Amino acid sequence: MKILIAIKQAIALDEDFEIRADGRDIEEDFFLPDLNEWDEYSLEEAMLIKERHVDTSVEVVCVTIAPDSADEALRKCLAKGADRAIRVWDDAMEGSDPVAIARALAAVAKKEAPDLFFAGVQSSDHAHGATGIAVAGFLGWAHSAVVARLDYAPGAKEAVLKRELEGGLSQELRVPCPAVLTIQLGINKPRYASLRGMKLAAAKPIETLESSDIGLSTNDCGETGSLSRVRRMYVPEKQRAQILAGDIAAQAKALAAIIREATGG
Amino acid sequence: MSSILVIAEHRRGELRPVSLELVAAANELRGAGEQVVVGLIGKHAHAFVAAVSKQGVDEIATVTAPVEDFDPDVSEAAVRALIAKYSPSLVLIPHSVDSYGYVAVLAAKDQLGFATDVYKIAREDGAWVATRGGYGQKVAVELDFPGRSCVCLAVRSGSYKPNEENASPTVTTVDVPSLQASTTPLEYVEVSAGGDVDITTVPFIMSVGRGLGDEANLSRFKELADQVGATLCCSRPIADSGWLPKSRQVGQSGKTASACKLYIAMGISGAIQHLAGMKHVETIIAVNTDPQASIFNVAKYGIVGDIFEVADALEQEFS
Amino acid sequence: MDPHELTRILFQDFPSWEVSFFYLVGFAAIGSFIYGVYREVRKYLRGVPDARVVWDYAHIKQGMIAIATHRTLVRRDPYAGIAHRAIFYGFGVLFIGTSIITLEYDITNRLFGLKYWYGDFYLWFKLAMNIAGVSLVGGLIYMMVRRGWIKPPKLDYARPDRAPDAPDYDRSNYRIEDWLFLWILVIIGVSGFVLSGARMIWLADRPEVWDIRWWSPVGALFAYALRALGLNAEGAVILRQLIWWSHGALALTLISLIPYTKAKHIFTAIVSLVVRDPLPAQRLPKVPEGQEQIGYRFLTDMSWKQLLHLDACTKCGRCHEACPARTTGGPLSPRDVILSLRELANSALEYSAVPEQSKLAMHGTGVGQVSSETLWACRTCMACVEICPVAVEHVPIIVQMRRALVEEGDMDPLLQKTLQTIHKSGNSFGESRRKRGGWAKVLPFPVKDARKEPVDVLWFVGDYASFDPRNQKVSQAFARLMHAAGIDFGILYDGESNAGNDIRRVGEEGLYEHLAESNISAMQSADFNRVVTTDPHSFNTIKNEYPDFGGQFEIEHYTSFVMNLIEEGCLTVKKQLGHRVTFHDPCHLGRFNKGYDAPRKLLEAIGCELVEMKRCKDNSFCCGAGGGRIWVPDPVGSEKPAQNRMREAATIEGLEVYVVSCPKDLTMFEDALKTTGYEGKFVVRELLEMLEEALEINLVEAEVTA
Repeated sequence: MKILIAIKQAIALDEDFEIRADGRDIEEDFFLPDLNEWDEYSLEEAMLIKERHVDTSVEVVCVTIAPDSADEALRKCLAKGADRAIRVWDDAMEGSDPVAIARALAAVAKKEAPDLFFAGVQSSDHAHGATGIAVAGFLGWAHSAVVARLDYAPGAKEAVLKRELEGGLSQELRVPCPAVLTIQLGINKPRYASLRGMKLAAAKPIETLESSDIGLSTNDCGETGSLSRVRRMYVPEKQRAQILAGDIAAQAKALAAIIREATGG
Repeated sequence: MSSILVIAEHRRGELRPVSLELVAAANELRGAGEQVVVGLIGKHAHAFVAAVSKQGVDEIATVTAPVEDFDPDVSEAAVRALIAKYSPSLVLIPHSVDSYGYVAVLAAKDQLGFATDVYKIAREDGAWVATRGGYGQKVAVELDFPGRSCVCLAVRSGSYKPNEENASPTVTTVDVPSLQASTTPLEYVEVSAGGDVDITTVPFIMSVGRGLGDEANLSRFKELADQVGATLCCSRPIADSGWLPKSRQVGQSGKTASACKLYIAMGISGAIQHLAGMKHVETIIAVNTDPQASIFNVAKYGIVGDIFEVADALEQEFS
Repeated sequence: MDPHELTRILFQDFPSWEVSFFYLVGFAAIGSFIYGVYREVRKYLRGVPDARVVWDYAHIKQGMIAIATHRTLVRRDPYAGIAHRAIFYGFGVLFIGTSIITLEYDITNRLFGLKYWYGDFYLWFKLAMNIAGVSLVGGLIYMMVRRGWIKPPKLDYARPDRAPDAPDYDRSNYRIEDWLFLWILVIIGVSGFVLSGARMIWLADRPEVWDIRWWSPVGALFAYALRALGLNAEGAVILRQLIWWSHGALALTLISLIPYTKAKHIFTAIVSLVVRDPLPAQRLPKVPEGQEQIGYRFLTDMSWKQLLHLDACTKCGRCHEACPARTTGGPLSPRDVILSLRELANSALEYSAVPEQSKLAMHGTGVGQVSSETLWACRTCMACVEICPVAVEHVPIIVQMRRALVEEGDMDPLLQKTLQTIHKSGNSFGESRRKRGGWAKVLPFPVKDARKEPVDVLWFVGDYASFDPRNQKVSQAFARLMHAAGIDFGILYDGESNAGNDIRRVGEEGLYEHLAESNISAMQSADFNRVVTTDPHSFNTIKNEYPDFGGQFEIEHYTSFVMNLIEEGCLTVKKQLGHRVTFHDPCHLGRFNKGYDAPRKLLEAIGCELVEMKRCKDNSFCCGAGGGRIWVPDPVGSEKPAQNRMREAATIEGLEVYVVSCPKDLTMFEDALKTTGYEGKFVVRELLEMLEEALEINLVEAEVTA
């Protein structure tokens, strides 16, 4: 039984970042990459399924569509216990939107033939919330998003899961399998990958592929394969709070006055 | 005749308010001669006709679904059918948990122009331009959709103000044969079951976030909240750690401070999910040591300082 | 009298079968002893080798001197130390005396006809034995009074790491052993005197015995006492026979049982003191090259020395008393960590074959195991290691066990988050690396970037001093001070990461190596002569641990650095502050690196009246932030070590200032001052800020940006 997990090396921006000359992205110097927070949860969920069913062989495979800077994120996954890691990239993939990425992920899934496909609900940088679910569109699989709890036995025909809805509500439902599921934060407690563990995992190989290896043409990738295009990135004008004047005592006084006025007492 | 298609959303018999925000958006964006069509999908879709009959809506298209609750396949097929019928240049869908479940599939299969969590939409030379956030909401990203005759956008709630005025649009039943649900709903679960206060009804909230540091510090803020007459609430990390019940969590996956008029955010940075639950509040006061915290962008007043020092000083004012 | 007549006839009037029987018993006892020693040594050798143990003259000498002077035993319990000296020397002299007799009887006389135990030698010998006997019994009686009446709290074996219903909570078997040991020794000692007296009465008609009776003064007193009780020569024969055998049997039994009972500390303590590491907790062990598994999971992961330590412990309770976690009700007593593991080792490693791994598991909540809760409560303050009279090294064992927990991810989620944050941004605050030197921007002079230009002094600032707003003020003060003294100094700006001291003590050895290598590389690329730091934690690891990773740097803490500047005249004290102060010795500067003097000299130089707290210098009570605990919340409702310390300080009459010289101390104590309600009674101040005031370093500050 195999679980394929899409992971992403998400980018946070450092202090005082600068916009690239062409205005369509931020200067790479200010990139602070790290494994997407949601992916920690989806990987952990896969590992829990693997560990709960020691009698069945569950293979956990991680895949990312990114240049080699993302190898660090894959190694973190290997350190946490993933069996294999795959990375697909070539220059033609530059400028891919979530759907173009999803097409590549689906091509990997067609090759790997997993029983379940996991992705995080969204990434901590751009938060599209689309990549994972779009894979289901390319695979023609059942799918469910924002999964906050999962009951699945390896090889089962369906899974019982809980979707986390708005306003403190959630819904329990049955989904047929194989399925694409996007995993929400808080579904489990992701394990720690110690640095030693990561160093040792560095010895495990990462399978690197190009778009042609997974049956994609250049039209399927990059901007041509995308459903949107980044025209411009800019720092928006921000509305700013009025900072109360004076020292702490004066600020507290002003705050108290605001409270009294609002509560009428 | 080109049109703008709005897909309304409902749950457990209630229309979700974001639907009307999208109607207002469509109305704002419509070009000369363009129709605004609202799609209602559900087992009892007709029940929501009155609720969406607002000024700006030209036509309401109902699709009868085989199931009461949301199903990704049903929604996908129904929206596909509506697009086929009305050939809209723009489709507006709420960016919500339900739409997370199907819109990307629809866009990917049908190769529609597509973007999510959009908060600003414009038209330039007849083409749609959408703006969303990027890099953890630190930048704005402007997107266009070259070569896409139909653009589907998932719109962030709170981006447009809904229209209150009623109207009488035409109602059309759209027959979509062989709609089949893929998932089987079992039950809804309310997290906040259990006699605590319903924070969606209180007027004055004091909320604590990561800046609290230690569970041990909670009692101090409980006391302060009582002293100033506020209901103590929190952001997600506090509820996840179990320091306060989930029923006290304000935010996207928690509660919306719907009735709140005064909101004091103590040690809350202002993650987008938390803001979703409170940024509408009339008077927001934020206290945070980080002058760059996003909370200061939605707050009316701010104090850049240590929440414990502020708590002490505030206590003095009320003792 | 012929000196040859002045001797004692051994086995006098014993039939030969009785002598043979005695030898049989004797050999049986020795056999048991040898087997016992073999079994214990076999147990220790089931541990791994210890690369840091050095068997050389210097080490053996320091060990022997420590034992001879008993200096480790008189600390913090002088009466017990003196009493133990009395027992030690008493027992030692008596043992040597017996050996002298045996040597002549069984070897030199039997084989070579050589005798020496007679005449004047014999007389002085008797006196020495009597004095030794008095010393032994006197010491033992004090120990009985101590245990039975004085009852010092540290001898309470109640353990904080088990609930009362746990199977290994009850320690009555230890208490029984303690009392038995005392009584057996006392009886051996006293019976020796009774025997001496009885012999005198029995042989009172022989001048070579009776005339020299006062050479055994106590024996003589016993003889008179026995006579007064009505004992005559005939009765004395019987009494002598009885006591001879009971005294002998008891003594041989004791010898035979040494390796099986607490008496084994005679040997384990001696070896432990000889092989003690000079920097046990200051310089933690590296992971051996090529070793995949790190940390301790099974008893056989420990070194032979550590397995020996488990047996060296005599349950004296000094570590239990000193531990800040235990004192504030935490589930940790260093004593009980050692005793638990000892019980585990005894149940698993004393058989001919090593049992299967599950019996060797050190972690857990079963009998003899140590729980994660206990391990995470440790502040690695080293109070336990420092005070242990038999040189047990608790902290490295705890850290090695933590290494295993870290690999399993068994830790508080907040700690996990902090480790991930430190890995990502090089500091525990999650701030951008670029902001590390931000605190220096407000200064009216530029602070050199040591990565770009050569400097005389490299200042390793540290996390808290760089990012914590309160501590940034202290950093600014130090910068102003160095500038005023004309020091050519610089910092590494974003080339500096967390020095790693606490990460290592948390057990994340991989992250520590990563940080150390990064810092060492940055430092080696820079051009400087020496290093100074305001952070005792960074000071400790750079001084003691970086050399193991290829980074050898001359480093000082600011206290000795500034004291030198004052002594050399680069800085002059302009104002005498005149406060009544107390000084809190930071663990990593004081106890770890013996830096007690410089801060005190500074306080004197600036005219402060220093009143020491009871727990000062080597006994300074940790603020509770060490071992990663500053990143882990304390249980709600419990007393924090810093609060306990504030209460101690508050007992000083008229105290005005509680002086600290460590960024974590400043943070912890400023908070504790508020929560213990002593705000207003006295203040917490950093020594640097007091120095700035006394040195009147007046420079116009740029406006501090919000």
